[in-house]
Amino acid sequence: MSLVLPGAEPFMHRGGPTGCLLIHGFTATPQEMRGLGEHLASQGHTALGIRLAGHGTRPADLARSRWGDWLASVDDGYRILRAACDRVVLLGLSLGGALALLASTRYPAAGVVAMSTPLLPTGGPIRFGLRPLSLVYPFVLKRPAHWRDPNAARERVAYPSYPTRALVEVSRVLQVLRASLGSIDVPVLLIHSREDTLVPPKNSQAIFDGLRSADADKQLVLIDHSTHVITCDAARGQVFDAAALFVRRQSEVPA
Amino acid sequence: MTSDAAFGLPAILPGGESFYFPGGRVGCLLIHGFTGAPKEMIWLGEHLAAQSHTILGLRLFAHATQPQDLFRARWQDWVADVETGFHILHAVCDQIVVMGLSMGGMLSLIAGAQLPVAGVVAMSTPYRLRQEWFARLRPLMPAASLVMPYFGKGRPDWRDAAAASDHLEYPDYPLRAVAQLFDLLAEMRRCLPSVRVPVLLVNSRLDETVTPDQAEAIASRLAGRVERLMVDDSGHIVTRDAARERVFQAAAAFARRVTAA
Repeated sequence: MSLVLPGAEPFMHRGGPTGCLLIHGFTATPQEMRGLGEHLASQGHTALGIRLAGHGTRPADLARSRWGDWLASVDDGYRILRAACDRVVLLGLSLGGALALLASTRYPAAGVVAMSTPLLPTGGPIRFGLRPLSLVYPFVLKRPAHWRDPNAARERVAYPSYPTRALVEVSRVLQVLRASLGSIDVPVLLIHSREDTLVPPKNSQAIFDGLRSADADKQLVLIDHSTHVITCDAARGQVFDAAALFVRRQSEVPA
Repeated sequence: MTSDAAFGLPAILPGGESFYFPGGRVGCLLIHGFTGAPKEMIWLGEHLAAQSHTILGLRLFAHATQPQDLFRARWQDWVADVETGFHILHAVCDQIVVMGLSMGGMLSLIAGAQLPVAGVVAMSTPYRLRQEWFARLRPLMPAASLVMPYFGKGRPDWRDAAAASDHLEYPDYPLRAVAQLFDLLAEMRRCLPSVRVPVLLVNSRLDETVTPDQAEAIASRLAGRVERLMVDDSGHIVTRDAARERVFQAAAAFARRVTAA
């Protein structure tokens, strides 16, 4: 018997002096980062795919989570990975991208790859009532997603619903990210799909505009043929290549 | 979570982070106790790393941040954390020995029943709470927690004053989380007959939190080989107190034995 859902287990690959910390998104699991982790490991890098607190078990566990728990999960992952290599690149998808950007303000990161990352407030006025709403309406069922790669959609391991209380915590992360964006000056690669309707690509554009990183150190790559989960959907190869190129470039900088 | 001075972000207490020592194909998963922190396992980790093992010292959910985080914890979070640590370590090692202190020992024994580990070292691990009448109050605890959220820890039983002064833990027990500790204890007792791998039980005669007779109750219910180490010059935190070197040597020797090809 196992409490962690099959397929949601974290992963690690031994490798060279550059470590890649892979951070999954909200209600998702390390499963959505596994392919990217394997790709980076095949390039000779060390890789660690963490499981965020409250994820990969039962949706009710996520309803009890607070954003500080997620940040602490990233801190632990950073500590583990940093002990195994000389420099760490933070790579995250969606909420994981937001956490990766925040983490870069807390400890030295060689760079950040933020994919399908949200920044702007969503939900209109309802977002101010989420907390009381969560008492009567604790879970919001996800709408069916239309993936470009149906096989990848079938392999997905994630909760079928959003815990309403945890949505409050996501909006806190984004609030803090909006306030800290101007102090992020590490190299950043943003990747977003033009077809992402869950988190529209204008979010990555806003992150790009708000970063303090030098112009030569920040890049926004827009892709097609993919919905929100770009690490798994049809254009994943393009995402893997862009991320690997970025990681290689950071690993050539003396630590 | 305490405030990160520069950014006002929540943070782990200094010394409370998970730790990792890269090494060989034998991995040791180290699990701290209730209200404790990875720091109480790091000296043991350093000793085992010197034997060229790979070491992962976990931080359990809601630990080493702020005590009120523990109100939100359920025992399943901690079991899931151990699974998580196991999967990370197993990805880079062939054989895993799980070692835990107190509640970490309980979690290690549960891992011994549920995960493919080579052996378990359970230190200062309870079978039941000393004040057994207290366990009968379990159903009342969530409600009682509203009027009495914390209660104090007992008299410290440390022998090594320097190690005691440098110890990292929450100062009190959150009652809400004590209820989870009881439930986890029940889960451990359920798992004991399924533990078929070798187990080393480490206790101190002077431990006032978990008296050494608890180890006999555990030993009699295990399905596999059981080894015992009883030390004298130590309180409950045998991984940091005065007899720690004996504990480290016994744990290292056990890890070597159970992972020998």
